[in-house]
Amino acid sequence: MSTANGREAALENGVADLEGGIVPISLGFGLSAEAEGEELLEEAEPYDVAIIGGGPAGLSAAIYTARAGLRTVVIDKSAYAGALGLTDRIENYPGVPGPISGVELLSIFRRQAESFGAQILQETVLTVDPFQEPMEVGTTQRVLYARRLIVATGTMGRKASIPGEAELLGKGVSYCATCDGAFFRGRPVAVIGDNEEAVSEARFLTRFAEPVYFIPRGRKVRAPEAELEELRRHPKVVWKEGVKVREILGNGKVTGVRLAGPEGEEVLPVEGAFVYLQGNQPILDFFPPGQGPEQTPEGCVKVNEEMESSIPGVYVVGDLVCHRVRQAVFAAADGVMAALAVERSLSGRKSLRAAW
Amino acid sequence: MALLSEKDAQYVRGFFDEHLENPVEILLFTAAEGDELAARKNPYLKETEELIKTVAGLSDKLSLTIYRRGTDDETFEAYGIREVPATVLQGPGGIDYGIRFYGIPAGYEFRTLMEDLVDVSRGTTSLSEKTKEALQSLAVDAHIQVFVTPTCPYCPKAVRIAHQFAIESPRVRADMVEATEFPDWSQKYGVFGVPKTVINDVEEIEGAVPEEFVLEALLRATAVKA
Repeated sequence: MSTANGREAALENGVADLEGGIVPISLGFGLSAEAEGEELLEEAEPYDVAIIGGGPAGLSAAIYTARAGLRTVVIDKSAYAGALGLTDRIENYPGVPGPISGVELLSIFRRQAESFGAQILQETVLTVDPFQEPMEVGTTQRVLYARRLIVATGTMGRKASIPGEAELLGKGVSYCATCDGAFFRGRPVAVIGDNEEAVSEARFLTRFAEPVYFIPRGRKVRAPEAELEELRRHPKVVWKEGVKVREILGNGKVTGVRLAGPEGEEVLPVEGAFVYLQGNQPILDFFPPGQGPEQTPEGCVKVNEEMESSIPGVYVVGDLVCHRVRQAVFAAADGVMAALAVERSLSGRKSLRAAW
Repeated sequence: MALLSEKDAQYVRGFFDEHLENPVEILLFTAAEGDELAARKNPYLKETEELIKTVAGLSDKLSLTIYRRGTDDETFEAYGIREVPATVLQGPGGIDYGIRFYGIPAGYEFRTLMEDLVDVSRGTTSLSEKTKEALQSLAVDAHIQVFVTPTCPYCPKAVRIAHQFAIESPRVRADMVEATEFPDWSQKYGVFGVPKTVINDVEEIEGAVPEEFVLEALLRATAVKA
C-alpha cells in the first residue's frame, strides 16, 4: 500500500529532510511544491485590479490599467497554456508582421504590461469571492485582494473524457500531483498531458513515484525548454511518445492505462494516473458554486457593452464571451474595453467618453 | 527554527486582533513526554505541539491546555480522541463543537485553523440558512472525516465545510485527518487522493464539492444509520 510506504520513507528521512516535499513544516500559510521555500503571503494592500488569465485579453487589459496608474496584477498559470500559447505561427496580428509563435507574441504583450508596472504572477487561481469588498482572490500561493476583477481565462477547460477517468477519480486518477503525490511513493504512475502543467507536475512526481510514465498523446510538448530537457533526462521518467490513451483501467483502484500506438495496444501497469489536458469548456470554476457570472445556454458569459458581467465589478473578456471569431485581436480589444471601464469606475466618472 | 516567520506571525496576530470575538480554548492531545516510540511513529508530533503553542501565543483570546497519553487518559476518553496529535477547539463556556484536527494543521491547513478559530470564537458560520436548518434537525449522530495533505490547495474548503457543519449541529463531529500521518486510516478508507470526505463510514466524497453536496451525502448517511 503506497501510504504505508510513504510513512516508512518519512520515518527514514526524519523531520529535517521533509521540507523538500512531503509535508511543509516551516511555513505560515502553506508551501506549494514549486514554491521552493517561498512563503505563502497574504497581500494585505488591495490591488486596483486583478486580472485572471495572461492571454491577449488579460495582458491587453493590464497594459491599459497599469499605464493608467492602477495597481495591477495578472495571474496566469502558464504562458504555454491557452489558445494563443498553443498557436505556432501567427502572421496577421496587426502591427506584428511575423511569422511569430503565440508564446513569443505573448511575451511581447507581457513585457509591455510589465514595463508599465503590472505585476505578473505564475500561479493558478483557486477561489474568487467577488461579493466582498474588496474582492478576494485565492491562488496556489497566496490570498490577495482587488477592487475590480477582469476574467480572461479562455475556454480551454475540460471535463473528464478518458474512459475510466471519472469513475476512478480519487482512486488513482488525480489532477493534483502536489496534493496526492505522497500516496504513490515507489509506485508506477502515468502523467497524461502535453503542456507546461503536465511537465512540472511530472517533475514533482519524481520525488515520490517510480517510474513516472510521461504520455503526451503523440503531441508536441509545450513547456520551457530547460524543464522539458530535465524531464527527458530524468532517470525515473519513461517517455511514451506517439501513443494515444484509450482507457484508464481499474476496479475501485487504478491498475493501468491502455495505450494504442502504431505497434498496437499495450497496457501500462500504473497505480496513479495524473491528467493534465485541455478542452473547450469555459474556465470559471474558481467562482463560488452557482454564483459565477450569468451565461447563455451555450455557455457564453453575458456582458454589457463595457464587458461588465452580471456581477458588479467583475469584467469578462476574450473567448469567454464568445465572439463570432476567435482571434487574438478581438480578445485584445475586449481587454482594452474592460480596462477603460475599470479605470472609469474607479475614478468615479459616470460614462465612458470617446478617448484616443 | 521558528515554525512561523516573524512576518507571518505578525500577520496572524493582526488577523486574530481583527476577527476573534470571544475566548477560544485550544486542547492539544499528544503523546507522553519523552515517548520516543510515539515520536518515531509520527515525525510531526513535536512540530504540531510547537505550532499550536505558537498560535495560542498570538492572541490574548486564545488559551491552550495540553493533555498527554498516560496521565490524561480520562480526558482522551471524554473527548473521544483516537490518535495523537489531535487538536480540539472549544468555544466560550467550554462548548465542544466537535471540531478535531488529527495531525499537523500546517501548509494550506494552517489557514483552516485560523478561520476555524474565528468561527468558534463567534459561534457562527457562513453556511446557508437552508444548510443550517437541515443540520439543526438532524436526528442521529454523524461523524465526518476529511482526509487531506498539507500541500493540497483544494483541501481547506472541504475541511472548512465539515467543521462548520460541526459548529451548526451538536450531532456532527468533524475530523480533519492529515493522511500521510495516519496511514492505517488512509488504507482503511482507500485514500489515494485528497480531499476525501467519509461520513459515518458509508458515504464517500472525492474532491472539494459545494456545501449542498456534502449536506446531501450527510443526510443519506444519517438515513442509513436511522
